[in-house]
Amino acid sequence: MTHIAIADQTAHLHHPKTFIGKYIWSQDHKVIAIQYSVTAIFVGLIALLLSVLMRLQLGFPGQFNFISPDAYLQFVTMHGMIMVIYLLTALLLGGFGNYLIPLMVGTRDMVFPYLNMLSYWFYLVSVIVLMSSFFVTGGPTGAGWTLYPPQSILAGTPGSGSGIVLMLLSLAIFIVAFTMGGLNYVTTIFQARTRGMTLMRMPLTIWGILTATILGLLAFPALLVSAIMMLFDALLGTSFFMPAIVSLGEPLNHEGGSPILFQHLFWFFGHPEVYIVALPAFGMVSDVLSVHARKNIFGYRMMVWAIVVIGGLSFVVWAHHMYVSGMNPYFGFFFATTTLIIAVPTAIKVYNWVLTLWLGNIHLTVPMLFAIGFIFTFTHGGLSGLFLGNVVVDLPLSDTFFVVAHFHMVMGVSPIMVLFAALYHWFPLVSGKQLHTGLGKLHFWGTFLGTYAIYLPMHYLGFLGVPRRYYALGDTSFIPESAHVLNEDITIAAIIVALFQLVFVVNVIWTLRSGPRSVRNPWGVASLEWHTPDVPPAHGNWGDALPTVHRWAYDYSVPGAKHDFIPQHVAEENVEYEAGGRRVGEGE
Amino acid sequence: MGWFGILSEKPWIPEAQGTSAEWGRTAYTPAVKISLRFMLGIISVFFLLFFVTFISRSQYDDFLALAGEPWQPFTNSMRLWINSGVLVLASVAMQGAVYALRRNQNLRLLCLLAIGAVLAALFIILQISVWQFLAGMGYSVAGNPANSYFYILTGLHVLHLVGGLVALSRVVYSLREEGDLQNRHAAIEACAVYWHYLLGLWFVLFFMLTRTPETYALIAAACGLG
Repeated sequence: MTHIAIADQTAHLHHPKTFIGKYIWSQDHKVIAIQYSVTAIFVGLIALLLSVLMRLQLGFPGQFNFISPDAYLQFVTMHGMIMVIYLLTALLLGGFGNYLIPLMVGTRDMVFPYLNMLSYWFYLVSVIVLMSSFFVTGGPTGAGWTLYPPQSILAGTPGSGSGIVLMLLSLAIFIVAFTMGGLNYVTTIFQARTRGMTLMRMPLTIWGILTATILGLLAFPALLVSAIMMLFDALLGTSFFMPAIVSLGEPLNHEGGSPILFQHLFWFFGHPEVYIVALPAFGMVSDVLSVHARKNIFGYRMMVWAIVVIGGLSFVVWAHHMYVSGMNPYFGFFFATTTLIIAVPTAIKVYNWVLTLWLGNIHLTVPMLFAIGFIFTFTHGGLSGLFLGNVVVDLPLSDTFFVVAHFHMVMGVSPIMVLFAALYHWFPLVSGKQLHTGLGKLHFWGTFLGTYAIYLPMHYLGFLGVPRRYYALGDTSFIPESAHVLNEDITIAAIIVALFQLVFVVNVIWTLRSGPRSVRNPWGVASLEWHTPDVPPAHGNWGDALPTVHRWAYDYSVPGAKHDFIPQHVAEENVEYEAGGRRVGEGE
Repeated sequence: MGWFGILSEKPWIPEAQGTSAEWGRTAYTPAVKISLRFMLGIISVFFLLFFVTFISRSQYDDFLALAGEPWQPFTNSMRLWINSGVLVLASVAMQGAVYALRRNQNLRLLCLLAIGAVLAALFIILQISVWQFLAGMGYSVAGNPANSYFYILTGLHVLHLVGGLVALSRVVYSLREEGDLQNRHAAIEACAVYWHYLLGLWFVLFFMLTRTPETYALIAAACGLG
């Protein structure tokens, strides 16, 4: 393997001189990361608003005239797609990936800065195309975020005209953007690491981002293939996915297509997508836990292996999303087995996080609170996944709120917990200022307890058989009155959680405007990104010379060492030990 | 060191004092080479997924293969063989450019790159003429899934070639500037590899799209899709 720093001469860097060159058409990975993050958080807030509107309808059906059945389905669809693709994927990889990769592996920038810039602008175009669907005739698609044909392109489904076309176009543009960004991330990690930064010295954040990017590069083509074929079906009348069908009393020209084929393609992308979101979150939470517990991550090597194994297995479990579509029982058995096997490396990670905390010097900072919160929400979401991975349990639960509760705990709340942990953790590096701790703790407790208030009762609704995707339940004999009351409570909790996110927005704005400057490396982090000559890092990151790495990123509370952490770039001969402390070569 | 060796490292063990020099430079792989490997992997997955759906779809009753009977367009596939010949020559020119590059024959290099680009453009034009030929025979995009796949797959192949031409023009443009010689070599070699890859992909497409129903049934059975 190579570990050569590219262009260890600042002359090779792109040096912008104008405001537009620095902040708009920027090729600096840090500016691009911030552009990605701000855009993603903006669309994420829109998706949050859509979820509140959905909950208003579910909690108080018939009270809000502007939420029609069509609008409800459109809110569901757009909420899902925005959150999964345009917020989580973009923020975790486009935002954190861009910011952290060059700083953590010790390069001056991504290896292809121009491509990196294009990646952001393609992403922005994809967002604009998606948002424009709110303003076309018929509105955005209401086919559900899975966009299953034939209903997604049939008259009668909201947004079956322009809405679905704009959605598919937007996805195609997003995939192009992701591919440009992804090629940059993997190439930078494999080719441009600084001297001494072996792969096994990389922080787990980078391992998570690297594996997730490779998953994305191999899985997004499946979505692109299905989007292209569905566009052909919708616009040119082909029959890839469209069977012979009668719509609104009229036979259509389609013949012989297979909707199930779309489902296979979609979930061949869709399941790895779960890990495209989860793996960077796993990596970042590992680093946050280690730093704030002042202890090395427990089982680093096993954590790396687990990330890689989870990445591999994520490609052979996709059809567990399709049990209700029907399949050969042997396939059902196969996919149930692989799904349960994936719990093994995942459980190893959870044990290792807990064991990292065990006997650690735990600092209950805001990032740490969110990280610990993640261990709870992820474990709960993961355990309900064991139920749904089994065919016989999945069939009765699949179309109920149990599934909504499961995937929101594991894929919604958990990555968002990590995102907040990461935002609070790295904010002083990005801005030079530290977010207000009191407001941060208020934000954490409101979010953590609030999301439990939303999703724990939702599991119970699922057991009762309350169906998901329904606009209104109406008079249904098997659903007791208490379920309706519970639905109201969930809606109130959802509104409260949404309002608590404003605390975060206020905190960011207040801190940026008038917050005090942060001390340098306030958390005492050993990994490279906190040891740039300037904080926030200047253009080119490393001043005159790239750092040389001498150790892994987890030397916290080293026995005998004078300080409670040893930065990655400090050579062993420069480490200060107390009298009688550890010496090199002892005890290995 | 292989992957197993890398993943078996124990990074928590501190290095011995004074050993930092041993992390010196190992073999240098230019960034463009690494990213090309990933890109070819992505494109392969992209087309492979199309092939899987194609073979699966070919087993439905309404699928009418484009070859097998005398009246079908590619029972005689001479047009496609001519196109293939043009793409083979384009690839040969690009490989010639790589040899010229290694021998520092700059004029020859530029000429061969130009020939490679022109032949690729000619291939694109010839592919368009094949589409016109098909449309003229009444084989429209939506007429049958076999037609749909032909247009969509050859269209995507052409798009990848257009992308290659854009990349090649950027590489040629960058030759005017002073730069790292090793990276420029790698960029030109990457273009040649991309041309060879698209040639190989074309032959796979050619094979897949012009088979008889019996061959499709055989492939589907072999893939477990029958």
